[in-house]
Amino acid sequence: MKTARVMIVEDEALVAMMVEDMLGDMGCEVAGSFGAVDAALAWLRDHPSPDGAVLDVNIGGEMVFPVAERLREQGVPFVFATGYGDLPRAGFESVQVLAKPINAGALRLAVERFRIG
Amino acid sequence: MRELDVNHSIGDAETGLTTLIEMIETLSATRTINEVADVVRGAARRILDADGVAFVMRDKDLCWYVDEDAIGPLWKGKRFPMDQCVAGRVMKSGRVVVCPDIYADPDMPHDAYRPTFVKSLAIAPVRPRDPIAAIAVYWARPYDPPPEVLRKLQVVARATASALESGRLNDYLAASLEHGHFLLRELDHRVKNTLAIVQSITRQTLRTTPSPEAFADVFESRILALSQAHELLTRRAWGRPQLEEILQRTLATFADDVAGRFEVQGPAVAFSAETAVSVHMAIHELIANAARHGALSTPQGRVAIEWNVDKATAPGLLTLIWREQGGPALSGPPTRNGFGSKMVHQGLARDLGGQAVLDFAPTGLVFTLRAPLSERMSLAA
Repeated sequence: MKTARVMIVEDEALVAMMVEDMLGDMGCEVAGSFGAVDAALAWLRDHPSPDGAVLDVNIGGEMVFPVAERLREQGVPFVFATGYGDLPRAGFESVQVLAKPINAGALRLAVERFRIG
Repeated sequence: MRELDVNHSIGDAETGLTTLIEMIETLSATRTINEVADVVRGAARRILDADGVAFVMRDKDLCWYVDEDAIGPLWKGKRFPMDQCVAGRVMKSGRVVVCPDIYADPDMPHDAYRPTFVKSLAIAPVRPRDPIAAIAVYWARPYDPPPEVLRKLQVVARATASALESGRLNDYLAASLEHGHFLLRELDHRVKNTLAIVQSITRQTLRTTPSPEAFADVFESRILALSQAHELLTRRAWGRPQLEEILQRTLATFADDVAGRFEVQGPAVAFSAETAVSVHMAIHELIANAARHGALSTPQGRVAIEWNVDKATAPGLLTLIWREQGGPALSGPPTRNGFGSKMVHQGLARDLGGQAVLDFAPTGLVFTLRAPLSERMSLAA
Protein backbone atom coordinates (compact mmCIF):
# COMPACT_ATOMS: atom_id res chain seq x y z
CA MET A 1 0.00 0.00 0.00
CA LYS A 2 1.42 3.39 -0.94
CA THR A 3 1.87 6.13 1.66
CA ALA A 4 -0.93 8.67 1.36
CA ARG A 5 0.16 12.30 1.48
CA VAL A 6 -2.54 14.14 3.40
CA MET A 7 -3.16 17.86 3.80
CA ILE A 8 -4.67 19.32 6.99
CA VAL A 9 -6.47 22.65 7.35
CA GLU A 10 -7.37 23.27 10.99
CA ASP A 11 -7.18 26.53 12.94
CA GLU A 12 -7.08 24.95 16.38
CA ALA A 13 -3.39 24.16 16.81
CA LEU A 14 -3.91 21.43 19.40
CA VAL A 15 -6.47 19.64 17.25
CA ALA A 16 -4.15 19.92 14.24
CA MET A 17 -1.32 18.34 16.25
CA MET A 18 -3.58 15.43 17.12
CA VAL A 19 -4.76 14.90 13.55
CA GLU A 20 -1.13 14.97 12.43
CA ASP A 21 -0.29 12.27 14.98
CA MET A 22 -3.33 10.18 14.07
CA LEU A 23 -2.47 10.32 10.38
CA GLY A 24 1.15 9.47 11.16
CA ASP A 25 -0.02 6.44 13.16
CA MET A 26 -2.09 5.34 10.17
CA GLY A 27 0.99 5.37 7.98
CA CYS A 28 0.21 8.62 6.20
CA GLU A 29 2.57 11.44 5.50
CA VAL A 30 1.39 14.93 6.49
CA ALA A 31 1.95 16.81 3.24
CA GLY A 32 1.11 20.16 4.80
CA SER A 33 -0.77 21.45 7.84
CA PHE A 34 -2.30 24.94 7.76
CA GLY A 35 -4.16 27.15 10.19
CA ALA A 36 -5.37 29.67 7.62
CA VAL A 37 -7.27 29.47 4.31
CA ASP A 38 -4.78 31.76 2.50
CA ALA A 39 -1.78 29.69 3.56
CA ALA A 40 -3.49 26.48 2.39
CA LEU A 41 -4.38 27.98 -1.00
CA ALA A 42 -0.85 29.32 -1.48
CA TRP A 43 0.61 25.91 -0.70
CA LEU A 44 -1.74 24.18 -3.17
CA ARG A 45 -0.61 26.58 -5.90
CA ASP A 46 3.09 25.64 -5.70
CA HIS A 47 3.05 22.02 -4.59
CA PRO A 48 2.00 18.73 -6.16
CA SER A 49 -1.56 17.75 -5.22
CA PRO A 50 -1.85 15.71 -2.02
CA ASP A 51 -3.65 12.34 -2.03
CA GLY A 52 -6.34 13.57 0.35
CA ALA A 53 -7.23 16.28 2.83
CA VAL A 54 -8.88 16.75 6.24
CA LEU A 55 -10.54 20.17 6.40
CA ASP A 56 -12.00 21.99 9.39
CA VAL A 57 -14.91 24.09 8.08
CA ASN A 58 -14.69 27.32 10.05
CA ILE A 59 -11.09 28.54 10.00
CA GLY A 60 -10.88 31.47 12.40
CA GLY A 61 -14.20 32.83 11.11
CA GLU A 62 -13.35 32.12 7.48
CA MET A 63 -14.99 29.27 5.57
CA VAL A 64 -12.70 26.60 4.18
CA PHE A 65 -14.73 26.26 0.96
CA PRO A 66 -12.21 27.95 -1.41
CA VAL A 67 -9.73 25.23 -0.41
CA ALA A 68 -12.39 22.53 -0.92
CA GLU A 69 -13.17 24.02 -4.35
CA ARG A 70 -9.51 23.89 -5.39
CA LEU A 71 -9.11 20.30 -4.17
CA ARG A 72 -12.21 19.26 -6.12
CA GLU A 73 -10.79 20.87 -9.27
CA GLN A 74 -7.59 18.91 -8.71
CA GLY A 75 -9.53 15.69 -8.13
CA VAL A 76 -8.24 15.33 -4.57
CA PRO A 77 -10.61 13.49 -2.17
CA PHE A 78 -11.25 15.19 1.18
CA VAL A 79 -13.37 15.07 4.35
CA PHE A 80 -14.61 17.83 6.64
CA ALA A 81 -13.91 17.68 10.38
CA THR A 82 -16.10 20.07 12.33
CA GLY A 83 -17.68 20.70 15.70
CA TYR A 84 -20.63 22.43 14.03
CA GLY A 85 -23.59 20.06 13.80
CA ASP A 86 -25.42 21.82 10.99
CA LEU A 87 -23.07 24.09 9.10
CA PRO A 88 -24.31 25.07 5.64
CA ARG A 89 -21.99 23.68 2.99
CA ALA A 90 -23.52 24.58 -0.32
CA GLY A 91 -22.16 22.45 -3.13
CA PHE A 92 -20.41 20.03 -0.77
CA GLU A 93 -23.40 18.16 0.64
CA SER A 94 -22.00 14.82 -0.48
CA VAL A 95 -18.64 15.28 1.26
CA GLN A 96 -18.19 13.10 4.36
CA VAL A 97 -18.18 14.98 7.68
CA LEU A 98 -16.14 13.77 10.66
CA ALA A 99 -17.50 15.07 13.96
CA LYS A 100 -15.28 16.57 16.65
CA PRO A 101 -13.91 15.14 18.87
CA ILE A 102 -12.51 12.99 16.07
CA ASN A 103 -13.27 9.30 15.94
CA ALA A 104 -9.97 7.68 14.93
CA GLY A 105 -11.84 4.74 13.32
CA ALA A 106 -13.86 7.07 11.09
CA LEU A 107 -10.69 8.95 10.13
CA ARG A 108 -9.01 5.65 9.26
CA LEU A 109 -11.85 4.68 6.92
CA ALA A 110 -11.65 8.09 5.22
CA VAL A 111 -7.89 7.74 4.79
CA GLU A 112 -8.34 4.31 3.29
CA ARG A 113 -10.48 5.88 0.57
CA PHE A 114 -7.73 8.46 -0.06
CA ARG A 115 -5.36 5.56 -0.78
CA ILE A 116 -7.76 3.97 -3.24
CA GLY A 117 -8.40 7.34 -4.84
CA MET B 1 -53.83 76.90 13.44
CA ARG B 2 -54.27 75.94 17.09
CA GLU B 3 -52.74 73.41 19.41
CA LEU B 4 -54.44 71.20 21.96
CA ASP B 5 -53.20 69.26 24.95
CA VAL B 6 -53.38 65.56 24.34
CA ASN B 7 -54.15 64.47 27.85
CA HIS B 8 -57.65 65.75 28.46
CA SER B 9 -60.11 62.94 29.02
CA ILE B 10 -61.73 61.11 26.18
CA GLY B 11 -65.50 61.30 26.37
CA ASP B 12 -67.92 58.66 25.17
CA ALA B 13 -67.36 58.17 21.53
CA GLU B 14 -70.64 58.18 19.61
CA THR B 15 -70.59 57.87 15.85
CA GLY B 16 -68.02 55.57 14.40
CA LEU B 17 -67.69 53.79 17.73
CA THR B 18 -68.07 50.38 16.17
CA THR B 19 -65.42 51.15 13.55
CA LEU B 20 -63.14 52.38 16.30
CA ILE B 21 -63.57 49.17 18.31
CA GLU B 22 -63.02 47.08 15.20
CA MET B 23 -59.86 49.03 14.45
CA ILE B 24 -58.51 48.43 17.95
CA GLU B 25 -59.29 44.72 17.67
CA THR B 26 -57.61 44.49 14.27
CA LEU B 27 -54.59 46.43 15.54
CA SER B 28 -54.07 43.93 18.33
CA ALA B 29 -53.24 41.31 15.70
CA THR B 30 -50.75 43.45 13.77
CA ARG B 31 -47.02 42.67 13.96
CA THR B 32 -45.26 45.15 11.68
CA ILE B 33 -45.30 48.91 11.10
CA ASN B 34 -46.76 48.39 7.64
CA GLU B 35 -49.61 46.30 8.99
CA VAL B 36 -50.36 48.97 11.62
CA ALA B 37 -50.26 51.72 8.99
CA ASP B 38 -52.56 49.72 6.74
CA VAL B 39 -55.22 49.27 9.44
CA VAL B 40 -55.01 52.83 10.75
CA ARG B 41 -55.19 54.75 7.48
CA GLY B 42 -58.50 53.22 6.34
CA ALA B 43 -60.17 53.04 9.75
CA ALA B 44 -59.19 56.58 10.73
CA ARG B 45 -60.60 57.96 7.50
CA ARG B 46 -63.97 56.29 8.14
CA ILE B 47 -64.09 57.11 11.85
CA LEU B 48 -63.25 60.77 11.31
CA ASP B 49 -65.23 61.14 8.10
CA ALA B 50 -62.15 62.62 6.41
CA ASP B 51 -61.08 62.94 2.78
CA GLY B 52 -57.62 61.63 3.49
CA VAL B 53 -55.42 60.13 6.20
CA ALA B 54 -51.64 59.83 6.22
CA PHE B 55 -49.58 57.64 8.54
CA VAL B 56 -46.30 59.43 9.25
CA MET B 57 -43.33 57.95 11.11
CA ARG B 58 -40.32 59.68 12.58
CA ASP B 59 -37.15 58.55 10.79
CA LYS B 60 -34.37 60.32 12.74
CA ASP B 61 -34.55 63.94 11.51
CA LEU B 62 -37.09 63.21 8.80
CA CYS B 63 -40.85 62.76 8.57
CA TRP B 64 -41.60 59.64 6.61
CA TYR B 65 -45.01 59.38 4.94
CA VAL B 66 -45.37 55.60 5.28
CA ASP B 67 -48.89 55.16 3.95
CA GLU B 68 -52.05 57.07 3.07
CA ASP B 69 -55.72 56.61 2.23
CA ALA B 70 -57.18 59.63 0.43
CA ILE B 71 -59.33 60.85 -2.45
CA GLY B 72 -56.18 62.12 -4.19
CA PRO B 73 -52.43 61.53 -3.92
CA LEU B 74 -50.59 63.00 -0.95
CA TRP B 75 -46.96 62.24 -0.08
CA LYS B 76 -46.77 58.46 0.31
CA GLY B 77 -43.20 57.15 0.49
CA LYS B 78 -41.67 60.63 0.75
CA ARG B 79 -39.46 61.97 3.52
CA PHE B 80 -39.27 65.63 4.60
CA PRO B 81 -37.12 67.44 7.17
CA MET B 82 -38.96 67.56 10.51
CA ASP B 83 -39.13 71.35 10.69
CA GLN B 84 -40.44 71.80 7.14
CA CYS B 85 -43.45 69.60 7.72
CA VAL B 86 -46.49 70.09 10.00
CA ALA B 87 -46.43 66.40 11.03
CA GLY B 88 -42.77 66.96 11.98
CA ARG B 89 -43.75 69.87 14.23
CA VAL B 90 -46.41 67.65 15.84
CA MET B 91 -43.86 64.90 16.47
CA LYS B 92 -41.45 67.42 18.00
CA SER B 93 -43.98 69.15 20.30
CA GLY B 94 -46.14 66.12 21.12
CA ARG B 95 -49.25 68.30 20.66
CA VAL B 96 -52.21 67.99 18.32
CA VAL B 97 -52.28 70.58 15.53
CA VAL B 98 -55.55 71.70 13.93
CA CYS B 99 -55.75 74.01 10.92
CA PRO B 100 -59.33 74.76 9.72
CA ASP B 101 -58.20 76.76 6.67
CA ILE B 102 -54.68 76.18 5.42
CA TYR B 103 -54.54 79.05 2.93
CA ALA B 104 -55.79 81.51 5.52
CA ASP B 105 -52.99 80.55 7.88
CA PRO B 106 -49.58 82.20 7.18
CA ASP B 107 -47.80 79.59 9.35
CA MET B 108 -48.69 76.76 6.97
CA PRO B 109 -46.35 75.72 4.13
CA HIS B 110 -48.78 76.53 1.32
CA ASP B 111 -46.52 75.26 -1.46
CA ALA B 112 -46.54 71.78 0.05
CA TYR B 113 -50.35 71.61 -0.08
CA ARG B 114 -50.93 73.27 -3.44
CA PRO B 115 -50.53 70.07 -5.56
CA THR B 116 -53.05 68.28 -3.28
CA PHE B 117 -56.75 68.47 -2.45
CA VAL B 118 -56.05 69.42 1.16
CA LYS B 119 -57.76 72.55 2.55
CA SER B 120 -57.88 71.74 6.28
CA LEU B 121 -56.19 69.29 8.63
CA ALA B 122 -55.77 67.84 12.10
CA ILE B 123 -52.61 65.95 13.08
CA ALA B 124 -52.16 63.97 16.30
CA PRO B 125 -48.90 62.59 17.70
CA VAL B 126 -48.61 58.87 18.41
CA ARG B 127 -47.20 58.46 21.97
CA PRO B 128 -47.29 62.19 22.87
CA ARG B 129 -44.53 62.05 25.52
CA ASP B 130 -41.99 60.75 23.01
CA PRO B 131 -43.66 60.77 19.60
CA ILE B 132 -42.68 58.01 17.18
CA ALA B 133 -45.37 58.70 14.59
CA ALA B 134 -48.24 60.99 13.70
CA ILE B 135 -51.68 60.48 12.20
CA ALA B 136 -52.64 63.27 9.83
CA VAL B 137 -56.28 63.77 8.80
CA TYR B 138 -57.19 65.96 5.83
CA TRP B 139 -60.35 67.47 4.42
CA ALA B 140 -60.92 68.85 0.91
CA ARG B 141 -62.80 71.89 2.30
CA PRO B 142 -62.13 74.39 5.04
CA TYR B 143 -63.32 72.56 8.15
CA ASP B 144 -62.98 73.09 11.86
CA PRO B 145 -63.30 69.61 13.38
CA PRO B 146 -65.49 69.61 16.50
CA PRO B 147 -64.06 68.38 19.83
CA GLU B 148 -65.55 64.87 19.49
CA VAL B 149 -63.76 64.36 16.17
CA LEU B 150 -60.48 65.43 17.75
CA ARG B 151 -61.10 63.09 20.69
CA LYS B 152 -61.65 60.18 18.29
CA LEU B 153 -58.45 61.12 16.50
CA GLN B 154 -56.63 60.89 19.82
CA VAL B 155 -58.15 57.47 20.54
CA VAL B 156 -56.92 56.31 17.14
CA ALA B 157 -53.46 57.70 17.97
CA ARG B 158 -53.38 55.92 21.34
CA ALA B 159 -54.43 52.60 19.83
CA THR B 160 -51.74 53.07 17.20
CA ALA B 161 -49.13 53.74 19.87
CA SER B 162 -49.91 50.52 21.71
CA ALA B 163 -49.96 48.54 18.45
CA LEU B 164 -46.52 49.92 17.51
CA GLU B 165 -45.26 49.15 21.01
CA SER B 166 -46.44 45.56 20.90
CA GLY B 167 -44.95 45.26 17.39
CA ARG B 168 -41.64 46.37 18.84
CA LEU B 169 -41.97 43.98 21.75
CA ASN B 170 -42.76 41.20 19.31
CA ASP B 171 -39.65 42.02 17.23
CA TYR B 172 -37.57 42.15 20.38
CA LEU B 173 -38.85 38.78 21.59
CA ALA B 174 -38.32 37.18 18.19
CA ALA B 175 -34.76 38.56 18.09
CA SER B 176 -34.06 37.36 21.66
CA LEU B 177 -35.34 33.92 20.85
CA GLU B 178 -33.22 33.79 17.72
CA HIS B 179 -30.20 34.98 19.69
CA GLY B 180 -30.84 32.28 22.29
CA HIS B 181 -30.84 29.61 19.57
CA PHE B 182 -27.67 31.08 18.11
CA LEU B 183 -25.96 30.94 21.52
CA LEU B 184 -26.99 27.30 21.97
CA ARG B 185 -25.53 26.33 18.58
CA GLU B 186 -22.37 28.29 19.35
CA LEU B 187 -22.09 26.63 22.77
CA ASP B 188 -22.50 23.20 21.17
CA HIS B 189 -19.69 24.05 18.75
CA ARG B 190 -17.39 25.35 21.47
CA VAL B 191 -17.99 22.39 23.75
CA LYS B 192 -17.16 20.00 20.92
CA ASN B 193 -14.07 21.98 20.00
CA THR B 194 -12.93 22.01 23.60
CA LEU B 195 -13.51 18.27 23.84
CA ALA B 196 -11.39 17.85 20.71
CA ILE B 197 -8.64 19.85 22.45
CA VAL B 198 -8.96 17.62 25.52
CA GLN B 199 -8.78 14.60 23.20
CA SER B 200 -5.58 16.01 21.72
CA ILE B 201 -4.04 16.70 25.13
CA THR B 202 -4.94 13.17 26.25
CA ARG B 203 -3.33 11.49 23.26
CA GLN B 204 -0.22 13.65 23.30
CA THR B 205 0.27 13.28 27.04
CA LEU B 206 -0.11 9.53 26.73
CA ARG B 207 2.62 9.48 24.09
CA THR B 208 5.18 11.23 26.26
CA THR B 209 4.62 9.99 29.81
CA PRO B 210 6.22 6.75 31.03
CA SER B 211 3.68 5.69 33.71
CA PRO B 212 0.02 6.14 34.65
CA GLU B 213 1.12 8.24 37.65
CA ALA B 214 3.18 10.55 35.49
CA PHE B 215 0.30 10.70 33.00
CA ALA B 216 -2.16 11.74 35.71
CA ASP B 217 0.12 14.54 36.98
CA VAL B 218 0.95 16.03 33.62
CA PHE B 219 -2.54 15.55 32.17
CA GLU B 220 -4.18 17.25 35.15
CA SER B 221 -1.83 20.19 34.98
CA ARG B 222 -2.63 20.64 31.26
CA ILE B 223 -6.38 20.37 31.81
CA LEU B 224 -6.10 22.98 34.58
CA ALA B 225 -4.22 25.27 32.18
CA LEU B 226 -6.96 24.77 29.59
CA SER B 227 -9.55 25.60 32.22
CA GLN B 228 -7.65 28.79 33.13
CA ALA B 229 -7.57 29.75 29.47
CA HIS B 230 -11.35 29.38 29.32
CA GLU B 231 -11.78 31.37 32.50
CA LEU B 232 -9.93 34.28 30.88
CA LEU B 233 -12.08 33.98 27.77
CA THR B 234 -15.27 33.97 29.79
CA ARG B 235 -14.12 36.97 31.78
CA ARG B 236 -13.76 38.83 28.53
CA ALA B 237 -17.03 37.42 27.14
CA TRP B 238 -15.02 35.58 24.45
CA GLY B 239 -13.32 38.87 23.64
CA ARG B 240 -9.57 39.30 23.21
CA PRO B 241 -7.40 38.29 26.19
CA GLN B 242 -4.08 40.09 26.54
CA LEU B 243 -0.62 38.54 26.73
CA GLU B 244 0.08 40.18 30.09
CA GLU B 245 -3.01 38.67 31.76
CA ILE B 246 -2.31 35.23 30.28
CA LEU B 247 1.22 35.43 31.69
CA GLN B 248 0.06 36.62 35.13
CA ARG B 249 -2.49 33.80 35.29
CA THR B 250 -0.07 31.05 34.25
CA LEU B 251 2.96 32.32 36.20
CA ALA B 252 1.00 32.43 39.46
CA THR B 253 0.36 28.69 39.18
CA PHE B 254 4.07 27.88 39.35
CA ALA B 255 5.62 30.51 41.59
CA ASP B 256 4.39 32.21 44.75
CA ASP B 257 6.80 35.05 44.25
CA VAL B 258 5.88 36.04 40.70
CA ALA B 259 7.45 39.51 40.95
CA GLY B 260 10.72 38.11 42.30
CA ARG B 261 10.94 35.28 39.77
CA PHE B 262 9.74 36.88 36.59
CA GLU B 263 10.44 40.04 34.72
CA VAL B 264 7.57 40.70 32.33
CA GLN B 265 7.75 43.60 29.93
CA GLY B 266 6.12 44.55 26.67
CA PRO B 267 3.36 46.55 25.01
CA ALA B 268 -0.30 45.49 25.31
CA VAL B 269 -0.91 42.68 22.81
CA ALA B 270 -4.26 40.89 22.49
CA PHE B 271 -5.26 37.58 20.90
CA SER B 272 -8.36 36.14 19.27
CA ALA B 273 -10.21 33.63 21.46
CA GLU B 274 -8.83 30.55 19.65
CA THR B 275 -5.25 31.81 19.54
CA ALA B 276 -5.40 32.81 23.21
CA VAL B 277 -5.92 29.12 24.06
CA SER B 278 -2.77 28.17 22.07
CA VAL B 279 -0.78 30.96 23.70
CA HIS B 280 -1.99 29.91 27.13
CA MET B 281 -1.10 26.26 26.56
CA ALA B 282 2.33 27.10 25.08
CA ILE B 283 3.22 29.37 28.03
CA HIS B 284 1.98 26.70 30.42
CA GLU B 285 4.36 24.21 28.82
CA LEU B 286 7.30 26.63 29.02
CA ILE B 287 6.64 27.27 32.70
CA ALA B 288 6.07 23.60 33.51
CA ASN B 289 9.35 22.81 31.79
CA ALA B 290 11.14 25.59 33.69
CA ALA B 291 9.75 24.20 36.95
CA ARG B 292 10.88 20.64 36.15
CA HIS B 293 14.25 21.18 34.49
CA GLY B 294 14.91 24.90 34.13
CA ALA B 295 15.24 28.15 36.03
CA LEU B 296 12.27 27.56 38.32
CA SER B 297 13.80 24.28 39.59
CA THR B 298 16.34 26.22 41.67
CA PRO B 299 15.63 28.87 44.32
CA GLN B 300 17.65 31.58 42.59
CA GLY B 301 16.52 31.00 39.00
CA ARG B 302 14.67 33.75 37.14
CA VAL B 303 12.83 34.16 33.86
CA ALA B 304 12.77 37.34 31.80
CA ILE B 305 9.87 37.57 29.34
CA GLU B 306 10.11 40.54 27.05
CA TRP B 307 8.41 41.40 23.83
CA ASN B 308 8.15 44.29 21.43
CA VAL B 309 6.45 45.08 18.15
CA ASP B 310 8.45 46.42 15.24
CA LYS B 311 6.10 48.63 13.25
CA ALA B 312 8.65 49.55 10.57
CA THR B 313 7.04 47.12 8.15
CA ALA B 314 3.29 46.57 7.89
CA PRO B 315 1.52 44.79 9.53
CA GLY B 316 4.14 44.90 12.30
CA LEU B 317 6.29 42.09 13.68
CA LEU B 318 6.19 40.81 17.23
CA THR B 319 9.36 39.46 18.80
CA LEU B 320 9.00 37.71 22.14
CA ILE B 321 11.97 36.41 24.09
CA TRP B 322 11.69 34.08 27.08
CA ARG B 323 15.08 33.88 28.77
CA GLU B 324 15.80 31.63 31.73
CA GLN B 325 18.73 32.39 34.03
CA GLY B 326 20.14 31.02 37.25
CA GLY B 327 18.86 27.50 36.75
CA PRO B 328 20.93 24.33 36.39
CA ALA B 329 23.37 24.26 33.46
CA LEU B 330 21.75 22.68 30.40
CA SER B 331 23.53 20.07 28.37
CA GLY B 332 21.82 20.77 25.06
CA PRO B 333 18.35 19.95 23.75
CA PRO B 334 16.38 17.01 25.17
CA THR B 335 16.73 13.73 23.33
CA ARG B 336 13.12 13.67 22.20
CA ASN B 337 10.64 16.39 21.39
CA GLY B 338 7.87 16.47 23.96
CA PHE B 339 4.46 18.03 23.89
CA GLY B 340 5.89 21.34 25.07
CA SER B 341 8.25 21.87 22.15
CA LYS B 342 5.54 20.71 19.74
CA MET B 343 3.08 23.11 21.30
CA VAL B 344 5.55 25.93 20.81
CA HIS B 345 6.53 25.06 17.23
CA GLN B 346 3.56 23.34 15.64
CA GLY B 347 1.05 25.04 17.90
CA LEU B 348 1.87 28.63 18.63
CA ALA B 349 4.12 29.48 15.67
CA ARG B 350 1.75 27.79 13.21
CA ASP B 351 -1.26 29.54 14.70
CA LEU B 352 0.38 32.95 14.37
CA GLY B 353 2.06 32.28 11.03
CA GLY B 354 5.48 32.93 12.60
CA GLN B 355 8.64 31.17 13.71
CA ALA B 356 9.64 29.79 17.07
CA VAL B 357 13.17 28.87 18.18
CA LEU B 358 14.04 26.92 21.32
CA ASP B 359 17.70 27.43 22.20
CA PHE B 360 18.91 25.12 24.98
CA ALA B 361 21.88 27.31 25.88
CA PRO B 362 24.11 26.16 28.80
CA THR B 363 23.04 29.23 30.83
CA GLY B 364 19.36 28.45 30.40
CA LEU B 365 16.59 28.02 27.85
CA VAL B 366 15.97 30.89 25.44
CA PHE B 367 12.72 30.78 23.53
CA THR B 368 12.23 33.28 20.73
CA LEU B 369 8.96 33.81 18.87
CA ARG B 370 8.67 36.03 15.81
CA ALA B 371 5.26 36.49 14.25
CA PRO B 372 3.43 39.12 12.22
CA LEU B 373 0.50 41.02 13.73
CA SER B 374 -2.84 39.84 12.35
CA GLU B 375 -6.47 39.43 13.32
CA ARG B 376 -5.26 36.68 15.65
CA MET B 377 -2.67 38.84 17.41
CA SER B 378 -2.91 42.62 17.51
CA LEU B 379 -1.73 45.59 19.55
CA ALA B 380 -4.38 46.36 22.14
CA ALA B 381 -5.64 49.90 22.64
